[in-house]
Amino acid sequence: MRFVDYLLGGVGSGLIIALMALALVLTWRATRVVNFAQVGQAMFTTFIALSLQTLTGSWFIALVGAMIAGALLGTVVQFLVLRPVARADTSGAIIATFGVLIALQAAAGMIWGGDSQAYPQPFGNTAITLFGRDWPVSAYDLIVVGFAVVLVVGLTLLFTRTDLGLAMRATAFNPEVARLSGVRVGRTLTVGWALAGTVGAVAGVLVAPTSAISPNSFDILLVFAFTAAVIGGLDSLVGAVALGIGTGLVLSVVSGFSDSGNAPVVALVLLALNLLLKPEGIFGHHKARSV
Amino acid sequence: MLSISSLTVDYGPVRALSHVSLEVPRREVTAVIGANGAGKSTLLRTVAGLVRPHSGSIHVDGVDITGRRAEDIVRARVALVPEGRSTIPELTVEENLRLGGMWRPRAARAATLAQVFELFPVLGDRRAMRADTLSGGERQQLAIGRALMCDPECLMLDEPSLGLAPLVVTQILEMVRTLAEESNLAVLLVEQNAVTALRVAHTGIVLNLGSVVMSGAAADVAAREELRHAYLGY
Amino acid sequence: MPSRDLTRIPGARLVLHAAAALVVWGLLLWGTQALDPLMNYYLALVAMYATAMFGMTILVGLSGQVSLGNGALMAVGAYVFATVTLNWATVPFTGIAMNGWWAMGLAAVGGVVVGLVIGVLGARLRGPYLAGLTLGVAVGVPAIASRFPELLGGETGLQLTVPYPAGGYAAQEAVADETFVDELPTEQVIEDAPVDELPVDQLSVDQLPVDGAGADDLLTLDDFSSDDVLTLDDFSSEGDSGALTEQPVDELPVDQLTLDGAGADDLLTLDDFSSDDVLTLDDFSSEGDSGALDDVPVEGVPLDDVPLDELPVDASGALPDTGLDGGLDGGFLGLDPDFVLERWQAGLAVTVACLVGFLALNLVRGRSGRQWRAVRDDTVAAAVSGISPARSKVSAFVVSCLFAALAGAVFAQILAYVGPGAFGLGLSLSLLVGVVLGGRSSLLGAVIGAVLLVWLPEFVLRLAGDRGWEDQITNNAPNLIYGLLVVLVVLAAPGGLVGSLQGLVARVRRRP
Repeated sequence: MRFVDYLLGGVGSGLIIALMALALVLTWRATRVVNFAQVGQAMFTTFIALSLQTLTGSWFIALVGAMIAGALLGTVVQFLVLRPVARADTSGAIIATFGVLIALQAAAGMIWGGDSQAYPQPFGNTAITLFGRDWPVSAYDLIVVGFAVVLVVGLTLLFTRTDLGLAMRATAFNPEVARLSGVRVGRTLTVGWALAGTVGAVAGVLVAPTSAISPNSFDILLVFAFTAAVIGGLDSLVGAVALGIGTGLVLSVVSGFSDSGNAPVVALVLLALNLLLKPEGIFGHHKARSV
Repeated sequence: MLSISSLTVDYGPVRALSHVSLEVPRREVTAVIGANGAGKSTLLRTVAGLVRPHSGSIHVDGVDITGRRAEDIVRARVALVPEGRSTIPELTVEENLRLGGMWRPRAARAATLAQVFELFPVLGDRRAMRADTLSGGERQQLAIGRALMCDPECLMLDEPSLGLAPLVVTQILEMVRTLAEESNLAVLLVEQNAVTALRVAHTGIVLNLGSVVMSGAAADVAAREELRHAYLGY
Repeated sequence: MPSRDLTRIPGARLVLHAAAALVVWGLLLWGTQALDPLMNYYLALVAMYATAMFGMTILVGLSGQVSLGNGALMAVGAYVFATVTLNWATVPFTGIAMNGWWAMGLAAVGGVVVGLVIGVLGARLRGPYLAGLTLGVAVGVPAIASRFPELLGGETGLQLTVPYPAGGYAAQEAVADETFVDELPTEQVIEDAPVDELPVDQLSVDQLPVDGAGADDLLTLDDFSSDDVLTLDDFSSEGDSGALTEQPVDELPVDQLTLDGAGADDLLTLDDFSSDDVLTLDDFSSEGDSGALDDVPVEGVPLDDVPLDELPVDASGALPDTGLDGGLDGGFLGLDPDFVLERWQAGLAVTVACLVGFLALNLVRGRSGRQWRAVRDDTVAAAVSGISPARSKVSAFVVSCLFAALAGAVFAQILAYVGPGAFGLGLSLSLLVGVVLGGRSSLLGAVIGAVLLVWLPEFVLRLAGDRGWEDQITNNAPNLIYGLLVVLVVLAAPGGLVGSLQGLVARVRRRP
């Protein structure tokens, strides 16, 4: 029964990992760049949300503010940093995202300080009681589930049912053919980054109450999200969500039976095993190994 | 319709095209032929806006489109079917087609889509299948269909015969000629396969090392034996 | 050019490189005499960073693999060094007594082994996958280290008893006399100062017979900068210094605290702290400027985190002849009383850096370098030319891990401490920053990057002092600058500082 409890306890954190992985997949699909600054952006927008929350007292306004800020930040980073990087310089693109990460963390430290700050819990964090026992699921977990479902369904519809989604997919697969078909590729890429920024911002605001927020506090989330995104195939929205939840469950069980300090090590082992056995990921068909 | 004058393109220190001038009239297929590296693909890619010219000008119905971006040139109704894998294998047939001409009104796009399915019935049959399940000839039809979705007045085809069986090549080129004549299109066809190209084309232009060495009625060009020996290698 | 002809002679290049490395080594070692302890400490840090970044140049620049794991590999080197010196009295199988060089050799072996494992796993992966995997390593290795509290010291890390050599590296007596003796605040009375402002050194200074003892005793001031705790222990056990024993014990060991408490969670904060130490201590000892103490972030450090009695001075048992009764006359750690710690640190770091630089120079300019570049520029073309891309990438990885492990072992000796905080993601990121700013594919760029990594935080600190910035601004300013510079360099000057200068020189030369 403890095992089941640990599993259930991992659903909330798994979905947050899934959302962050989703953000990584969105930028990857748009520009073939893994945005290592993604958690930095999310951290920054979560601090903005915290300021808004303190100012207005409304969790919802703070969330919307973070989403807008996330979209803007994604746009700015893509437009100012990634777009001008020479297309052939893949190392440069990766390094540039780390540069953004370092700068964002420093800027957040300057503005909000380096200490961990608590993020208010918007809904009850007490265990739900049902069938005569306490379940390791709180009302807040259900909110997280709700947001994740809405976002995933919304994104799926966007990608499969709209012209914008089609343009984004086509641009990801073959930018030249997309341009020749009349797609404004630059704009599409920026939209992809803005979307990723928004999703990341939601993930940040959702994860903040369960931990605390400081300039570096999301670093570990980057590792988990990257693990999930890569094992999911890096190209696949479904994969990112499935593996995000899966990673959350595994980490929750491991932390439950041993110690939460083991989580990064377990994530690393998962990632290493995946890259060794099936580097293109479970849902992906993209080539991960070059030689 | 499409009018190119004194177009010069450099790849770094290498001159790929040197003062190329040509006219592509409506209702005609204009074939540009030449050996490997003659600059045929560069010509099309420059017109389409994928390559920036060094000098010269490109006009469509008198409007200067020189140096515009590819997304804008296709809106000026000049569409390119690029060489090789110009469909997106991960998308379905219908998605590949819907990709073309997204800026156009919804109703107009639906009408063109119906026309494309009429023109290439096999695409209609396989509309929900992924493009990578199609045969080579079907994929080339899909690529042409995608370009037609942009409602072009000038259609440019880069080596449509590449990797296709001779029978399929003939079919496709015949279709292109019919399209030009019946749909009021100006077609600019680039081919290494000179014999087949000149058979369907109205006008033939021979390109060598970036310069036009001969142009004239397709039949005349095909008849010039010394040209064939010198530039086309047969 | 004659030198170009020279290199045609077999082995000539090797000799040339060896000569160059020797000359640089000699010059730098000679230079350590002239430098004051603070500058020597900086030199040690620069050399340590350069050692690690030679590996980054090969990995990121020449082989085109962006890795964040090199900080973690430094951790591997540092931990191997620490555990080996703490637990093994002799080198296994040989019976030779363990010393610093053997321990560094074992650290190198550890680095190569771990590098091979990660390299085989990751080096064949495409860019972002490798970067992500090594990111996991950078986060995971410190986490693994904190899993083993008995062996690796857990979260708090290991206080290291560095196997210092006996004697050597003395400061010149004349220098010592001039800079220290004359300016020492001999007349200063401890009791006047409030306790929490008391500079540790001054306490000791007052205990010492300044005029009578001459340079020998004064030189121990330098030792204070990194061995406060030891000396304090000495003092208190001697029991002859009333003032010292009366002090609240947990407020004393400024350095130990900064090492532990500060950690390196944020990029480069560790440097700030550790160099602060030296700075302040030096300021005190040489200028006697007790007012400067206020600038030192002593208050910010969680003083209570480290109970004095838990410090491994006695626990490690590695200091049998520290001579609690011998006191100052016997020197600390059995060292010659003329021993200047910072000079020794600089000497060690420079020696390792020159050795590694020599290796790197040969690799980069030799067949390996050509292969790495070939695979980076065009994997397929390299493969059809008979180069195995996988082997080439793994070899670049392993070489860089070897260098990183050595740098880690040096870093451990500079800090006299190993812990998860000091070798976290921040360290890996700073290595990447340094190598990008200096010039991704140039060994000279690595050196320039190392200088930048040490200099910029100090510069910002000084600027902040002049302008009166808040700590919150000051502490983050270096990283903000690094981040923005990295982006700017990638966009505008992918070759870094060295690449830009080379471009400039080439343009000037082309002009007649």
